[in-house]
This record gives sequence, C-alpha cells and structure tokens, in this order.
Amino acid sequence: MHLIDRRNFMQAAGLAFAGSLSPRQLFALEKADAVFGTAYQLKDGTCGLAVLSEDSNVLFSAPLPDRGHDVSYDPIARRSVIFARRPGTFAVVFDHTGAGQPLTITSPEGRHFFGHGVFSPDGKLLYATENDYDNAAGMIGVYDATDRFRRIGEFPTHGMDAHEMLLLDDGRTLAIANGGIETHPDFGRAKLNIATMKPSFVFVDRVSGDLLEKHELAPELHQLSIRHMDQDQSGTLWFSGQYEGPETDRPQLIGKARLGKELELVAMDDRVLASFNNYTGAIGANRDAGTMAVSSPQGNALAIIDTATGKVVSHQTLTEVCGLAPDRGSFVVTTGRGQVISADGNAAAFDDYFWDNHVLRIG
Amino acid sequence: MKWLILVLATPLLAGAAAPASANEKATEIIQSSITGFVRPAYAALHERAAALNDAVKTLCATPSPANLQSARDRFKAETDAWSYAEIIRIGPATEQNRLERMLFWPDRKGIGLKQVQATLAAKDAAAADPAQLPTKSVAMQGLGALEFVLFGTGSEALSSSGDPYRCQYGAAVAANIEAMAGEIDAAWAKKGGFADQWAQPGPANPLYQSGTESVTALLEVFVNGLELVRDVRLGGFLGKQAADDKPKQAIYWRSDGTTRSLAANLAGMKALFEASGLGNQLSPDTRWVADSVKIVLGNAIDAANALDGPIDDTLAGEQKRDKLAYFRLVTSTLTELFATRLAAEFGLTAGFSSLDGD
Repeated sequence: MHLIDRRNFMQAAGLAFAGSLSPRQLFALEKADAVFGTAYQLKDGTCGLAVLSEDSNVLFSAPLPDRGHDVSYDPIARRSVIFARRPGTFAVVFDHTGAGQPLTITSPEGRHFFGHGVFSPDGKLLYATENDYDNAAGMIGVYDATDRFRRIGEFPTHGMDAHEMLLLDDGRTLAIANGGIETHPDFGRAKLNIATMKPSFVFVDRVSGDLLEKHELAPELHQLSIRHMDQDQSGTLWFSGQYEGPETDRPQLIGKARLGKELELVAMDDRVLASFNNYTGAIGANRDAGTMAVSSPQGNALAIIDTATGKVVSHQTLTEVCGLAPDRGSFVVTTGRGQVISADGNAAAFDDYFWDNHVLRIG
Repeated sequence: MKWLILVLATPLLAGAAAPASANEKATEIIQSSITGFVRPAYAALHERAAALNDAVKTLCATPSPANLQSARDRFKAETDAWSYAEIIRIGPATEQNRLERMLFWPDRKGIGLKQVQATLAAKDAAAADPAQLPTKSVAMQGLGALEFVLFGTGSEALSSSGDPYRCQYGAAVAANIEAMAGEIDAAWAKKGGFADQWAQPGPANPLYQSGTESVTALLEVFVNGLELVRDVRLGGFLGKQAADDKPKQAIYWRSDGTTRSLAANLAGMKALFEASGLGNQLSPDTRWVADSVKIVLGNAIDAANALDGPIDDTLAGEQKRDKLAYFRLVTSTLTELFATRLAAEFGLTAGFSSLDGD
C-alpha cells in the first residue's frame, strides 16, 4: 500500500542536491562545528532530508520520495544514509558536504526498510533493519558500500519488527531492538498481532550472523514494544519503548541492556511516566555529559536522565518533540511542529517543516 | 491504535488563558459522544450478542435448517453491531485483548482458520467450554471463529444433528462474545471508570489532563477509524486493479458481510459525529465542514450498502467494483476533512512525528 513505485522514487530522488549549495551555504557548512542530519516533511506533503547546523540553520536539503526516518553516518568516507520510514523501500546515501550525487538504494522484493541502520567501523558495509514481511521476520540487510551499496546478504534478527540497532564498541556485535509488532504492507501500518506480540532485545554477530543473546521482558510486559536505544558512557545500552496494551496501564518504558545480563527496567516517577502517554519516540545519550534524553511525541514531553543515578534532571513539555542528538553539554532537539531547539536552548521555528522522528550528528 | 495525535495550536477550544471553560466544553462534547453514541452502540452489541447466544444454543438443542438460518441471521446482526461500535478503539474494548478476541482480523496467514479447523477435528472439549475458551488463542474466541462455524465448510451439518461438537464449540464462542460485550458495556457504565476519565479531563486525571487531550482522542477515533477502513479493511482485499483483488482476504466474506461491515463502520462514525455535536461548535462560516462530513459519510454509506452481497460478485462486476473504488476514494476525502479541516477548526493540527510504531 505504502510501497513506492520504484520508477517514481528514482525520479524523485534523482533530483540531486549537488549544485544546490550556494557558496554561502558551503561556507556555512565548512565553518559549522557540528552538523545534524534529519528527515522532514513540508506542509505541502513533499518530503526531504536536511542538514542542520549547530545554530539551527538548514545548511541544505534534498528531496526524498516519501517520508524518511533515521540517518546513519560513516565517519570514514564521511557519508550518510537516510532510510525510508516503514514500510518504505528506499534509502538515500548522501554526502553532507554536498559532494557527489546522492545514491538511492532499494530494498529487494519481499523486504522493506524499518528506518534504521549502521555502518561497519571501516565504512565498507551498511547494515539495515528490514522486514521479511511475508514471513513476519526481522532481517538485517547487508549492503556493500564499496560497490554502490549492492545488497550482498542478510541475516535474521530472531524476532519481528526489528527497529533501531547499534554496533557495540567491539565493532562486531550488533544490539538490535525487535519491536515485536507484526505489520504487512498489504495492510498499511496496521498492527496485526497485538494480543500475541513478543518484543526482544538481541545481540547478533554481524560477521557470522550468529545470535549471541536474546532477552525478553517479563511476560506481563509482552506488549511493551522495544524500539530505540543508545549507549551511555559506561557502555550500558538504554532502550525505550511504546506500550501497545490498554491506555489505562502505566508500565515503565525505559530499560537497560548489557551483554550477559538480563534486561532491567528503569523506574521513572509517576509524573514523568504519565507525561509519556505510554509512548517514547527516541532515546539518545550525551556521553560527555553523562545524560540520556527520552522524547515522547505523543505525550509532548522530553526528559533528561542522569545515567549514573537514574534520576530525571530535566523534564519539559514540548509539543511533538521527537528527534534528539547530543551537542555540547546538552541536546539538539527537533519537533513535529517545525521547531529546532539547540543545545543552548534557543528555539528556531521552521513553519513549513515537520521534522521527522530522528536527528543524527553527522560531523 | 494511536496512529495519529492531534495537538493544540490555537485557542478556539482550549488554551492557557481559559483552561476551565475549555475543559467544560470538552466535557460537553465527550459526554454527548458517550451518551449519544458509545453507550447505545455497546448496549446494542450486548443485546444482539445475547440473541446470538440464544440462537446458537437453540440450534444445538434442536438442529434444523430454520434454526441454522436463525443463528446465521443473528450472527449477521451481531457483526453489524460490532462494525458500528468497533470504531471506538480506546477504553474497555482495548483491555484484556478484547478487540482481538472479539475479532481477530486480518488473519493474513490463516492462523485462526487453522486453529478452528484443528479444534473441530480434534473435538477439543476445553474449547467448547465457555469457561475455558477465553484462555485459548484469541483467534478462536470471536466473530471470525463463529463465522467459520456457522458459514464455513461443513456448516451445513448444523442443520441436522450431523456435528454436535461443532455446534457446542460455536455456542461457547457465542457465549464468549456475549460475555465480552457485557463486560465492555458494563465498564463504560461504571462510575469513575474510563467514561468519566475521558469526559472529565483535568490535571489530576491520569489519562486526559486537559480538554484538548480528550477532544483529540475523539478526533482520533475518526482519523484512525478511516485509516483502518481504508488501509486494513478495504486495502486488504481491494487491489489497485481488479487483477490484484483478493476476495478471500475480505472481512466476513463467508457470511456475505463485507460491504455491510464497511457501511456500518462509517455509519458508526456518522452517528458519533452527530452525537458529539462537534459540528455545532463551528462558527457559521465554517459550518460547511460539518455539513460536508455528513454528506460525504452518507454517500459512502449508501455506496457500500448498495453493494450488499457476496464480495466476489461485487469484485467481478465492473460497475460494482467501481463503486467500491469510489468508497475508498471517499475515505481519503473524509480523512482530509477530519485530520486537516476539522482539526484546524478546533485548533488542532494533525501530528506528524508521533505517528505510532516508529
């Protein structure tokens, strides 16, 4: 249903942004300390990717055929990939300095992207979370970045609905959030297995594809979909989820994971928890500051947690807040209402923009 | 299914300046929605479930073609009532997996069918026991399972005493449906329950802390309901072209109930819209939005009702199929009216990042 016709999106994505940079923009890009990649939709419905400066300027943007989701960055070749939002079938590789033409990757027949991915440390391979939808199985698609991102293989995530993943510091172990929700493009974004869903948090060897560990929540929390994660300065993974059970339940939504350890939920106080409306949209660490930010676009809430103590050090109301990325001592935050809030707290409004769920520091 | 959130933008409805009056306005809208639509819809569901349960019991006690026909008719009446009420996907229906237990659909891999067939083959005594059925797979407990029992292959045996187990299992499912309908009905009537939480927003309310949140939840019923009808119910079987149609993926195809169900979904939305009084809140120069909503809903309901009959016949006839395609188009028009026009009139904007499952 939402799958995009290949020819159409090739045309759309083929509108290159190379050449779209003015000398002034190039200068701005060169002098920017940090830049951030994110997807957006305009009020007229068109979609694109944007690179933002630390002081909330759009350095450049390029069209996308449909809504994008998260960005992955390879610091070696200094290029980024933006993945389609599920159930999209495109991903666009771009150089945030505007060099070269963007390259559109398509997921193969029978697969669509889930919106997240990672590069290998050498930048030679790209891993993407994908849906083998006829079999309702999460897969990791492997793409050869040295050969125009040709798809060279795949391996299972041992769960449904693989969403965000991270590569651990060993350079080999992938931590993958299996959200547990079955969807199929024949039925749009409808959730097909809420009564029986079984999310999991897995560790998989990216080289062999072997499952190293699989962790599940307690049975009574089987409707807590584990979707996003980041790693704190101690190496502990923090995950956040959305609850698919009745709205009258108030389960904890945030937890910690480590190789060799059981999942552990982080107890948030009732007021903070209630503000999330059983839904978190992103979680991200500022390892230098020792903090973890969690956003809830459905609850219009942003909380920042001290990772050492688990205490909430900041809790604010921000309409449709979702995207977050570490910057200096705090976070750059984006909203579905077109706001970009820089680390120093200044809010810039982009009236025509809806920023999509994630923002990533890409340089 | 919180696919879409609507968030306050301007203060027609609410705002920091006048929170008390905004909450009063929201209370009026939500209370009218509950009294005028939700409660009667679930009361009818419960009443018809009881009649269905009786009819299946009678069929089991005295198998006959007439009693089979009666059970089938009661089943259709109950699915009509469910299609009308099921647009409410918040509150008691979401507890204890009732939505899925009442209707496990879509069943893309035919899990429910396989489980029901296996149960019928094995004559599993536990599945035919109303006390134990709720512990079985959700796919074996509700309308989809009972449809197969009453209309599927082998159902003719129910008109004589050819398959007593099949009838007993069907009776257990019918009893389970009645029990769930009764639970939902009672939960909405309960003082201090979900209905009060929805209708009485405020800072101390754990679910709805402002009038905006309550009204948002109401508008989401329409927006999410339309997406369900379009993407899941219609999109599941109606292809872009006729060659892509999958009539056996259509809801209630065995009981010829597909288009009646689609019509009832929209009839529920129309009744809810009228009960809520949302249209009366609009200023005279924007009243046209409410009028459009009613007219377009009415046209869509008429179109679907005109197609009553076996879905494969509908899909095989070019003119009939076109009508279904028109119905699909109209659901998109309605989404635009609710998510953009009406939301804007109430100072809400259709949320973006917050779409569920990302």
